[in-house]
Amino acid sequence: MTDETATSETAPLAAEYTLGLLPEDEARAFEALMSRDPDARAEYAFWAENYAALTNDIPHEAPPAHVWTGISDVAFGPAAPRASWFSRFGLPSALGGGLLAALAVLWLVDLSGMMGGETSTYTAQIAAEDSSLIIQASFDDSTDTLSLTRDAGAAADGRDLELWLISGGNAPVSLGVIPETQTADIQLDADVVAALQDGVLAISDEPEGGSPTGAPTGAVLAVGPLIAL
Amino acid sequence: MTTPQDVENMIGRMALGDRQAFSDLYSATSAKLFGVALRVLSNRAEAEDAIQEAYLKIWRNADRYQVNGLSPMTWLITITRNLCIDKLRARKVQGGGMDEAAEIESSAPGPEALAMASSDRARIVDCMGQLDDQKSDAVRRAYLEGETYKELAERYDQPLNTIRTWLRRSLIKLKDCLSHD
Repeated sequence: MTDETATSETAPLAAEYTLGLLPEDEARAFEALMSRDPDARAEYAFWAENYAALTNDIPHEAPPAHVWTGISDVAFGPAAPRASWFSRFGLPSALGGGLLAALAVLWLVDLSGMMGGETSTYTAQIAAEDSSLIIQASFDDSTDTLSLTRDAGAAADGRDLELWLISGGNAPVSLGVIPETQTADIQLDADVVAALQDGVLAISDEPEGGSPTGAPTGAVLAVGPLIAL
Repeated sequence: MTTPQDVENMIGRMALGDRQAFSDLYSATSAKLFGVALRVLSNRAEAEDAIQEAYLKIWRNADRYQVNGLSPMTWLITITRNLCIDKLRARKVQGGGMDEAAEIESSAPGPEALAMASSDRARIVDCMGQLDDQKSDAVRRAYLEGETYKELAERYDQPLNTIRTWLRRSLIKLKDCLSHD
């Protein structure tokens, strides 16, 4: 199909695509067409709106209460970042979703571990989804020091791991390259300390010496919400 | 009474991380979406799983709603329907044969489309009534049961290409009717 024939060809294709009837290669071709052709997108919307009306006569039924509990537990895990935080890193949303699910589990792990009551005022477990990289972080407000303990993982050869703080709707702030030692202390500036509340720590893969741009350039390997003690 | 504008406002606040807005959206729309999931899947446990997944997807993608161009209820219904069809096709994987299930929900189209008044929404029912019974039945089966051309060909005992030709003709006819003021 060419652009010139889009108008005449689009109608049944959009109708078939929206039903999910197209073979994969044709579905992909139609998606490509939609990405550059507003008429094709309008056709898709036309059909989506009309087909959705086929559900008008389906009886409503309230789902059982545990359905919402399940949804909110995952969506609102404490300090669970929204997908948009991950999209700031340029991650596909599917990956962000996977990490969110992992966060919900990690939070439970963190809760069980936080009853000891250290002097730190925040703690976080920055962990990869597959546990290939795990770094414990704790912040002590008497010295404004973030202490890191590496439980697993290391930078790839010729690469460095860089630590970031994501807080609120702000762009990630670099907290520096993570030393290769098992433990390390990072001194935080006052404005960074103020942003720790409800923040998330993340570790990205960067060139030696850290990101050249001031923003993450490589893959985000691990994330962990800061939990106030 | 929740209006389409109310739903759109809730989605807008969800895009900013407003949890109360998400809770409100769930209260306003979950009976509708659960009804759709039950209709498509005919299985209570699977329908519960499907709307959990659908609402998590809606929460995470709320910031993309403004650019996808669908009216708010259509967006919610489409996400739910596509997730349910994926589950249905995974369940009867031997019957499908056309592996298009995964990508139906991966598109992020962006036309301008306003919420339709309820009188307009019923028009497809009238227009489907102008098709042969077998053809409107096939469209309904594809939308609500995720039936593929292969399954429709078996159901109506016709070669696949024949089915595709007559269904495409029906869809063009349907569009003419739907577009007619």
